[in-house]
Amino acid sequence: MSIEIHQLEHTYNAGTSFAHAALKGIDLTIPEGKVTAIIGQTGSGKSTLVQHLNGLLIPTAGSLEVCGFHIQPLLKIKDVKKLRKEVGLVFQFPEYQLFEETIEKDIAFGPKNFGVSEQEANALVKKILPLVGLDESFLVRSPFELSGGQKRRVAIAGILILDPKVLVLDEPAAGLDPQGAKEMMSLFMRLNREEGKTVLLVSHDMEHVMKYCDHVIVLDHGKVLHESDVATFFEHPEWMVNIGINPPGIIRLKLELRKKGFTIPDEILDADSLLECIKGQVKNHE
Amino acid sequence: MNNFALGRYLPLDSVVHKMDPRSKIMIMLFMMISVFVPAGVYGYAIIALFVILALVLSKLSIGYALKAMKPMLFMMGFLFVINLLVIKTGTPLIKIGWFSIYSDAIYQTLYVVVRLLFMVVITTILTATTKPLDLTLGIEKLLKPFEKIGIPAHIIAMMISIALRFIPTLIEETQRIMNAQASRGVDLENGTLKEKISALLSLIVPLFVSAFERADQLANAMEARGYNPNKTRTRYKVLKMQAIDYVAMLISVLVMAACFGIWLYV
Repeated sequence: MSIEIHQLEHTYNAGTSFAHAALKGIDLTIPEGKVTAIIGQTGSGKSTLVQHLNGLLIPTAGSLEVCGFHIQPLLKIKDVKKLRKEVGLVFQFPEYQLFEETIEKDIAFGPKNFGVSEQEANALVKKILPLVGLDESFLVRSPFELSGGQKRRVAIAGILILDPKVLVLDEPAAGLDPQGAKEMMSLFMRLNREEGKTVLLVSHDMEHVMKYCDHVIVLDHGKVLHESDVATFFEHPEWMVNIGINPPGIIRLKLELRKKGFTIPDEILDADSLLECIKGQVKNHE
Repeated sequence: MNNFALGRYLPLDSVVHKMDPRSKIMIMLFMMISVFVPAGVYGYAIIALFVILALVLSKLSIGYALKAMKPMLFMMGFLFVINLLVIKTGTPLIKIGWFSIYSDAIYQTLYVVVRLLFMVVITTILTATTKPLDLTLGIEKLLKPFEKIGIPAHIIAMMISIALRFIPTLIEETQRIMNAQASRGVDLENGTLKEKISALLSLIVPLFVSAFERADQLANAMEARGYNPNKTRTRYKVLKMQAIDYVAMLISVLVMAACFGIWLYV
């Protein structure tokens, strides 16, 4: 089931002198089973938007349709609590949410909140650990003695254990080394391919968007500026420049080569085909 | 959560905003003392005049100052109920069955409410017209003479300014952690006592961990820049008292003297 968003508006501190409209009428369809990127500058409303998807925020106007839940203004938190199990939201720097004495307890915290027994929860922990690349020796260790990257894996395991149908990731690779970032991203891609989870990725990293995503949504000042599939999006590097985002290296190289007189079709997005394309032209020139 | 008026700086352009923080702190002290002098209705009338004058001069609306009272309303209501039940002196005013309300209960409550009102409005004027950093600078300068008897004025001021600096950060952090835990199914509002305690722990532990981490980073950053609290430091901003500061202080001292006068001789 895809996510349908109709005329969604959200104003913080509505009715006070601190009122601030973060979302001003968003209309979107987020395709099921795909990887969708949400990009935009700081303050464009990305975080506000994703917090609606699992009912952390309730719209001030408009509505959303998520996993069979209809969310509209004035709903109570109680009504949407079950939605949090369906939509797993991983915040930026999720390692800051760890608090239990052992990693096992921390990961099992989520399911227990949704009424799973301790034994079942612990069994689930054993299943989820290898998925994030940690072994059982970690179970009894304290989450606070781990490295930054390991902490993040534990925190993400704490969301994955809820087995959400939709995964919303806010900059999941921020602050990780390139290897760690790659492993993190390929984990999410595997969950998307093998278990058919819908993935939403909030990211500033256009390399990641180009490499991993199917669909792109660009937010600007609380409105949808562009919405398209990834190939179309990267055919318009000016869209990125307009919102102050640096296009990926390969796109920048393509633009530079065009300036030098090469003819490069829009659909070329990887290094190998770019190489093939200019090879021919260099030969012809000679 | 960031909607409260109490303690927030309001950037306006007024004479009170331009006054020296030292004189404003001294005036606040004098007024606080005046409020606690039992000078009856006349004393409070004088204080009220002074406070209204200060409000007008600082261009703050009376509504804003009263908004700062909001967090205290519950306490006042609570106090009122307790006083009604406990105080059994004075003349009985209203009788409902076996229960009667005595005049002293009303007077006592009014007394406390008026005092609280003055205290909150006076501190609100101070914090709304003085930037937090100026305020700590003022405290530091005022404490300076006490350094001779071993009070570390600079360290105290530094601690206050760091604490003030991190209040918004910690509020933001709390909100972030609440969201993160809510996404893991924590419900801070509903549930049994045991569930609520565990929910609260899931909020407090990460908050402390990150606060300590921040403290560590800040200490390192300060040391890396050669910060030493015992060295003499020059200031970018030099405080300077002006005529208005002396006049305002004189008036506040007069108010205080009047209150004492009424208490002791009238």
